[in-house]
Amino acid sequence: MTAHTGFSPKETPWVCGQCDIPLVLTPVDVGYMGNAFPVELWKCPNCGLVFVPEELALGKMLEVEKQLEDK
Amino acid sequence: MTDNPRILSSTESVCPICFSRIGAQRVQIENDVYLVKTCPQHGEFKTIVWRGPTPAFTEWVRPKIPSHPSNPFTPVERGCPFDCGLCADHHQQTCTALIEVTQRCDLRCNYCFASAGSANVPDPDLTHIEYLYRRLLETGTQPNLQISGGEPTLRDDLPDIIALGRSLGFQFIQLNTHGLRLARDREYVRRLKEAGLSSVFLQFDGTDDEILKTIRGVRQLERKRAAIAHCAEFDLGVVLVPVLIPGVNTHNLGAIIAFALDHFPTVRGVHFQPITYLGRFPHAPADSDRITIPEVIRLIEAQTQGALRVENFTTSGCENALCSLHGNFVVMPDGKLRPWINQQPNTSCCIPQPAAVGAEKTRQFVAQHWAPPPPTSGSMIALDSIDSSSFGEWDRFLARTKTHSFCISGMAFQDVWNLDLERLRDCCIHTVSPDGRVIPFCAYNLTSQSGATLYRGQMLPVEALL
Repeated sequence: MTAHTGFSPKETPWVCGQCDIPLVLTPVDVGYMGNAFPVELWKCPNCGLVFVPEELALGKMLEVEKQLEDK
Repeated sequence: MTDNPRILSSTESVCPICFSRIGAQRVQIENDVYLVKTCPQHGEFKTIVWRGPTPAFTEWVRPKIPSHPSNPFTPVERGCPFDCGLCADHHQQTCTALIEVTQRCDLRCNYCFASAGSANVPDPDLTHIEYLYRRLLETGTQPNLQISGGEPTLRDDLPDIIALGRSLGFQFIQLNTHGLRLARDREYVRRLKEAGLSSVFLQFDGTDDEILKTIRGVRQLERKRAAIAHCAEFDLGVVLVPVLIPGVNTHNLGAIIAFALDHFPTVRGVHFQPITYLGRFPHAPADSDRITIPEVIRLIEAQTQGALRVENFTTSGCENALCSLHGNFVVMPDGKLRPWINQQPNTSCCIPQPAAVGAEKTRQFVAQHWAPPPPTSGSMIALDSIDSSSFGEWDRFLARTKTHSFCISGMAFQDVWNLDLERLRDCCIHTVSPDGRVIPFCAYNLTSQSGATLYRGQMLPVEALL
């Protein structure tokens, strides 16, 4: 995956490295411990590769894990 | 699966007759696991501890690094379970501490862990209770408190006892009660709330008065409803606590859960207690008189028509894994439950955590989820206003876990027949004895086949304490 400059707000700064086409915001099922909800993430319309930004992985996704870790 | 007994692991226990510490083994026979032990004097004892293949006994694990008491009150002399106070060899710190404020009770249940009402013991006065509170603080932890007995609501000064606990810094105080006074004395409930009570641990053995009559000797379902209504009026969280007795109320788990949901959000959850033969009970138990953790979970699945499933339940990072079960759920806008997890975590491969970390998490979890929900919970406006663009439905679900959580849990206490000293060493639920020792609940209430106790009623002189 490579950074793509000159994008509009609705477009991704990323293109799929394998398919060389821009990623598209797409509802993707994000699961944790068998629980899944749709989240809009950047996804390659061709090969299906999903891009998870670092801030999401270390932010919201970590929050899900911590919140559901219970006791 | 083979019919041949297979020794899974070894531990220690005590003889049900003479209390001698003896070796014990966890033995698998077909799909069941037994604790098998032999006293040189009194022979072999074999007790069911796990029935059935699902969830698996060998996967119901949560390895922990022992967290010893930072300030043990009793010396290690005779070894577990004879040095409780806590001693330095204990593996867990106090998560929940029970303070018994009376031994009196206005019921005379056939089953009572505490043998309440059996002896004519004066109630501890406020000075004595303050001493017990301060002993807990001396342990170096600040556990959740459960005010217990006997029946604590027989005391008119219970609000003062709770206020005293709060003034000493205890943040979460729960009342263990049959609820009869809460039902008839609205003003008393108001005073308890004003004093700082967080939550009510309400004895609730079933949704059928015949069940209550069998176990408690009194039909009282309407009074349970009235108690819950008063708790709702004064914003007290309620946890329903059924003791599960085979053949008496094991057909009623689904109905109990449905009743709890009907009274959500005041009722925050259900805490099942498989019958344990401590204190007062009609006769020495056969295996058919017992129900084990996997059976409870499977019955929940069967009696909720699969709405709640085995894989929604797991064990705890606080007490020994074999002592408990819990499943957390969110009450969705349509009233249905959505589980926090849909697959059991593979806890056997986890890096062991210090036990004290698990104790702290459980203290916080209980304080959050057994107390009344935050004020916004009655309104959908706050939830609907969440910006769902950041993490979609997950944001809404996470917000709801904070405001609409519903917890189903269970604690399998141990008696003299199924006592496993590895489990006892991991215990996090401790009773403060009148002499100021902090004693694991099952050790404190341990009762031999002939009714002798190891700790209850046995006071130590002050000079024997560290």
